[in-house]
Amino acid sequence: MREHARSGALTEVTFFILLSVYEPRHGYAIMQFVERETKGRLILGAGSLYGALNSLTQKGYIELLGEDGERRKQYRITAAGRQVVKKELARLKEVARTAETIVGAHPAAAGENIAKGTAWIGERSTMADPPRWEVEGI
Amino acid sequence: MIKKCYRYFGGLLKRQEQWLNRMAAAGWRLTEAGKLCYTFESCAPGAYEYRVEFAGQMSYGKSKDYRAFLEGLGYEVFYKNVNLNWSVGKAVWRPWGQGAGQVSTSPGSFNKELMLVGRQAEASPFELHTTPEDKAKYMGVLARAYLYRAAALLALGIFLGVFGSSNRLPEAGLSVGRMIGGGLLAGLGLWMLWRAYRCGREARLYREEAGLGG
Repeated sequence: MREHARSGALTEVTFFILLSVYEPRHGYAIMQFVERETKGRLILGAGSLYGALNSLTQKGYIELLGEDGERRKQYRITAAGRQVVKKELARLKEVARTAETIVGAHPAAAGENIAKGTAWIGERSTMADPPRWEVEGI
Repeated sequence: MIKKCYRYFGGLLKRQEQWLNRMAAAGWRLTEAGKLCYTFESCAPGAYEYRVEFAGQMSYGKSKDYRAFLEGLGYEVFYKNVNLNWSVGKAVWRPWGQGAGQVSTSPGSFNKELMLVGRQAEASPFELHTTPEDKAKYMGVLARAYLYRAAALLALGIFLGVFGSSNRLPEAGLSVGRMIGGGLLAGLGLWMLWRAYRCGREARLYREEAGLGG
């Protein structure tokens, strides 16, 4: 489990694993948390989760709390892990802010024109005089 | 009802996995895995599904920890051998291993190179490795394991072939036998080299997908 070499960004899986252990959880509960919170978009394999938990423990982002009644290891986020999550959250907000600024400056034009342009491409054989602005909008 | 089957798959992980899943689809749940003997008990057809995991790079302690983790998720885990040696008091160097996993002993991790992992069938896909970086790591381990074995088999095969055809050996029959043996070993080595290449290529693709570079 890694952070991006240049930007320091966490992978989505790492981010969700860290979020999952704000409350003490064992492996199975972490898998369920990730699946539930991403509405099934991210499904963690056991081998990948095992490697990720070991890696995050080594980095000091999470800690082993011990075993529960069924002898399953429980993990919890550390202060260092919380800092990493906060940093990643700030980065994601910055990305979202930049994207909103750019998308907001071009209200719906790009998407609509692409849709219209695509429709025109589909119909071009039957259109004698295609509207020029739609083509420029592509 | 109990059923016993005798099979040997060696390092053919995918084939073993497919066979176990065919058995499960036919209503047989794995309950025990010996060196050659698999024991099943009857269950509802398709009630279980299996994955075969290579764990030969892990130290014994690490593999026990991984097994406990998998069992904590509700999976059924069985150790399985790749080789057929019956041995006690043996130590083997595995250059492809990680850390203490480079030395395998018996008793210990020797003859426990694989894990047969089963779970009750669910709607969600049963994959042990899901992230590109983890898949890259796993395929890299497989590639290294195949590569070292290929190198050893090729070296042994060539050695036997060369000396088997040498005039210095007085027994002509033995010489031909050694040549054939050497050829077979070298052939197996080439096949493993091909497997190493395929796994290495997959590892590279996953590394690229994970943004780790080629």
